[in-house]
Amino acid sequence: MESLRDIRQNIKAIRSTQQIMQTMKMISSARIRKAQQAMDNARPFAKKMQEMVADLKQEVLALPEQNETESWASRFFVNKTGDPSKIGLVVITGDKGLAGSFNAVILRAAVAFLRENKEKEIAVFCIGKKGRDFISRLRYDNIKIVYDSVGIFPKVTYAHAELLGEAVMKEFYDKHLSSVTLIYNDFKSMGSQRLAQEPLLPFSLQHTEKNEDETEFLFEPGVKEIFRILVPRLMKAYMYRVLLESQAANLAATMNAMDAASKNAGELADALGVKLNKVRQAGITNEILDIVNGAEALNG
Amino acid sequence: MAKTLTLNLVTPQKQLLNGLAVESVVLPGVQGELGVLPGHLPMIVQLGFGSLRYKKDGKEEEFAVMGGLAEILRESVNVFAEGADLAEEIDEEAEKQKIKRAKASLSSKDADIDFELAELEIKQAITRMKVKKHHLG
Repeated sequence: MESLRDIRQNIKAIRSTQQIMQTMKMISSARIRKAQQAMDNARPFAKKMQEMVADLKQEVLALPEQNETESWASRFFVNKTGDPSKIGLVVITGDKGLAGSFNAVILRAAVAFLRENKEKEIAVFCIGKKGRDFISRLRYDNIKIVYDSVGIFPKVTYAHAELLGEAVMKEFYDKHLSSVTLIYNDFKSMGSQRLAQEPLLPFSLQHTEKNEDETEFLFEPGVKEIFRILVPRLMKAYMYRVLLESQAANLAATMNAMDAASKNAGELADALGVKLNKVRQAGITNEILDIVNGAEALNG
Repeated sequence: MAKTLTLNLVTPQKQLLNGLAVESVVLPGVQGELGVLPGHLPMIVQLGFGSLRYKKDGKEEEFAVMGGLAEILRESVNVFAEGADLAEEIDEEAEKQKIKRAKASLSSKDADIDFELAELEIKQAITRMKVKKHHLG
C-alpha cells in the first residue's frame, strides 16, 4: 500500500498541473475574443473582393485571348498553361500541441493528399511549427517545402498574409503549377473546428450566380494594370482570412482541450483524495487496535 | 435615378464604412482625383495615396487612403484600401514622430533595416498629414 506521503505528493502534483491547464485555458479564451474580432473585421474585405471579381467575370474570361501582360492575370483564374504534373499544397497548422486533435486532423489530410498525388511534383507551403516539422520528416522524393513560417500564432497580421500570398503566387507562376490546394482548420464555433480542404489557385469564379446585368466597366488606368493589382490583393485577402480562421480555431481547440484536461485532473485528484482518506483511516484504525490490544494484554 | 450612392470602405483589417448613403464621393485615383455622383458609369479605379471625401447630408467627411482599388457601380462605390484613417482622428504630432523615426532608421547604417518599409511609413505619414491639413482647410 502507498504511504500517506506518496499520495499527498501525487495530489499536489496533479493540482499544480491542473492549475497550469486552467491558466492556459484562460489565456486562450482571452485571446480568442481578439482573434474572433480580427476575423469579423477582415471578412467584409474578402467578401466585397469576391463580389467585385464576380462583377468582373466577363473581363476575366476574356483575358486569355489578349496580350502577354494580361495573360499573367489569366493564369490565376483560368490557367491553361499550367503543368499538370506540378501542384502546390498549403498546410496551416498550429505551432504547439496541447490542442486536442487540431494538428493531427490537418496532417492526416495532408498525408492523404500527398499519397494521392504521389506521381506529381508537389511544392509545399507550411505555416505552423507542427506542420513544418512533420512534413520535413516525411521521406517522399516528390515533395519539397518551398516556404515555411513558424511562430506567427496567435498574433497574425496582414503582413504575414502578404508574405505567404506572395510566396504562393511566385511559385505558382514561375514553376507553372497547375493548381494549389489549401488545408486548414475552419473556425466554426467555440466548440468545433472543421477541417477545410479547398482549391486555392486558380481562383474559382463560382461566386457569380447572381449577375443578371452584365455590367461593362471602364478601367483607370487600364485593364491590365487593374488586374496586376487586383490579383495579389485577392490572394492576400484570402490568405489573411484563412490565417485568422485557423488562429481562432487553434485557440478554441486549445481552450477545449485544456478544459477537458483540467476536468480530468480534477477528477483524478478527487479520487486520490478519497484514497488518501481511506489510507489514513486504515492507519488510525490500526493504531487504535494496537492500543486496545496493548491495554487488554496489560489487564489480562 | 437614385439620389444617393451607397459607399463601402473596407481595408483588410477593418470595415470602416458599411453601406453609407452619401450624395457624392471624391476618390484619390492614381491619375488624379475623381468625383463620383449617383449614376456614374461602372468603373474600376486604381487608388493612389491621398484623400477620400464624401458628402452626407451636406456635411463633408474625409479619410486618408493608402492606395488600393475602387469599384464604382451606378448606385454604389466599393473602396478597397490598403489602409485608411479618418482625417479627424489623425494626430499630426504622432505622424511627425513616425517620420522622424523612419528617417532615423533609414540614415543609420544598420544592415537589417527594411528600407521599403521605412519609406512606405514616411509616405503614409505624409499622406495622413496632407489630408489632415486639407481637412482643417
